[in-house]
Amino acid sequence: MRLILLDQQTDKRYHFNPLALSRPIWELRYGITSLAEKLIAATGLTDVACFLPPYMAEVYKARTDWPVNDPKSLEGDDLLIVSARARAEFFSPDKGPGPSRVNFDDDGDCLMIRVAKEDLGKLKTDSIDSLIESAKAAFEPCNCEIPTWNYIWELVLENPDQLTKDFAALGRSGVEGTIEEPAGFRGSKNDIFVGKDALVHPMAVLDAEHGPIYLDEGVEVHPFTRIEGPCYVGKKSILLGTKCREGNSIGPMCRLGGEVEESIVQGYSNKYHDGFLGHAYVGEWVNLGALTTNSDLKNDYSSVSVMLDGRTPIDTNSTKVGSLIGDHSKTSIGTLFNTGAYVGAMTLIAATGKPLPKFIPSFAWFLEGVVTKGFGKGKLYETATTAMSRRGKEWTQADRDMWDEIFKLTAPVRKPAIAKGRRSLARH
Amino acid sequence: MATVAERVAAVTARVLQLDPSEITPEKTFTVDLGAESVQSIELVASFEEEFGIEMDEDAALSVESVGDAVTFITQVCKEQGVEV
Repeated sequence: MRLILLDQQTDKRYHFNPLALSRPIWELRYGITSLAEKLIAATGLTDVACFLPPYMAEVYKARTDWPVNDPKSLEGDDLLIVSARARAEFFSPDKGPGPSRVNFDDDGDCLMIRVAKEDLGKLKTDSIDSLIESAKAAFEPCNCEIPTWNYIWELVLENPDQLTKDFAALGRSGVEGTIEEPAGFRGSKNDIFVGKDALVHPMAVLDAEHGPIYLDEGVEVHPFTRIEGPCYVGKKSILLGTKCREGNSIGPMCRLGGEVEESIVQGYSNKYHDGFLGHAYVGEWVNLGALTTNSDLKNDYSSVSVMLDGRTPIDTNSTKVGSLIGDHSKTSIGTLFNTGAYVGAMTLIAATGKPLPKFIPSFAWFLEGVVTKGFGKGKLYETATTAMSRRGKEWTQADRDMWDEIFKLTAPVRKPAIAKGRRSLARH
Repeated sequence: MATVAERVAAVTARVLQLDPSEITPEKTFTVDLGAESVQSIELVASFEEEFGIEMDEDAALSVESVGDAVTFITQVCKEQGVEV
């Protein structure tokens, strides 16, 4: 049976922005692994293909061995087509083979289709959209309710518990790297894993009393860092005297300092200096300048709302939500993000000392307290090229094409913000 | 109605906080008039607001002198059907 991961351009896809602007939803981190890794582990299927928005296909092909947007992957085997929004806990290997069934949510978005190989002839397999439509007409609905991810902040809010579950599922503990003395430990050492080539400098504290700590291969922990479990630190990331509070998932090749709490960092991002990041989801290639701080709790303790489209506040039903920061965004020293701030991808922020607006569109240059066109996307691409080369990664033509498309996709919310900023500047 | 040159001079004087008499066609924004990078962006935004046009930021920011700005803005106004 083949697992087909599905990320369609539906009306709900923007609920996972700004991270989902530049990657399929299944690449989002949750606990120690990604949503895709969880779906694969839950279904027990190793033959995997995927379908995602066409504009990001070329970039994704360079990152995966799976067939991407290839209709041939819809032929020749039993299929289990699963939306990236479907939660892995619904699946288990014994739910694999069986009669062909479909499952759609109340808005008609496909959550799961199971196709027995012998039924493939009843379907159109020239494209994923055709297959879904023909399956909807051909097969009975499955009598089941599939739990879904509905907003990106759900991953952040549930991350601490998932870290603990993932640590238990991986079943690894012990020290394969090096811990230099004197080191401080709290809790059980069975709840600590230090991967190969990882190095914990003297005077670091690993506090696993309330949850496990997983330091992946090549992680470096500098002196005076305190890591509270549950926590995952990805390959070759460096903690620089960090107050690493509970519930963090840090991807690979990050540099983190200051105070970080219950946050997810996708990878390749820097927050070198002091400043607080809490209940945030930060993309790749982000640089947060010294003293950049986000609020994750309102002064009146009411639930936090987030504007994902720049217009409509969405109640998160949580009192703790920090910032959502898209790929390649950069902040100046002293940047202050409001509670539940949305910071689009490819933004450049020069702080004025005041808390920023709750929504900053992608490709915005936030200067003098307003959204401007700044020096344009060309300069942002130059910076992206430099940032990636510093970590041995190449900015390719495919990257440029994808970001050009994201520039177009995000123009409708950016243009009014720029016009408003222009009026404000002209009045000065 | 003020000419394009007069309007460009007025906007430049306001943004860079200079006396309008200092704004002459041969003066460059950065070297002669002291525009810093953020002020260059402010100038582009203010010209767009003054003339009701949209300028390509790369092209606009490559303009160096006041005289060239007058020529560039006049051309953009023509292309975008804005009467000046």
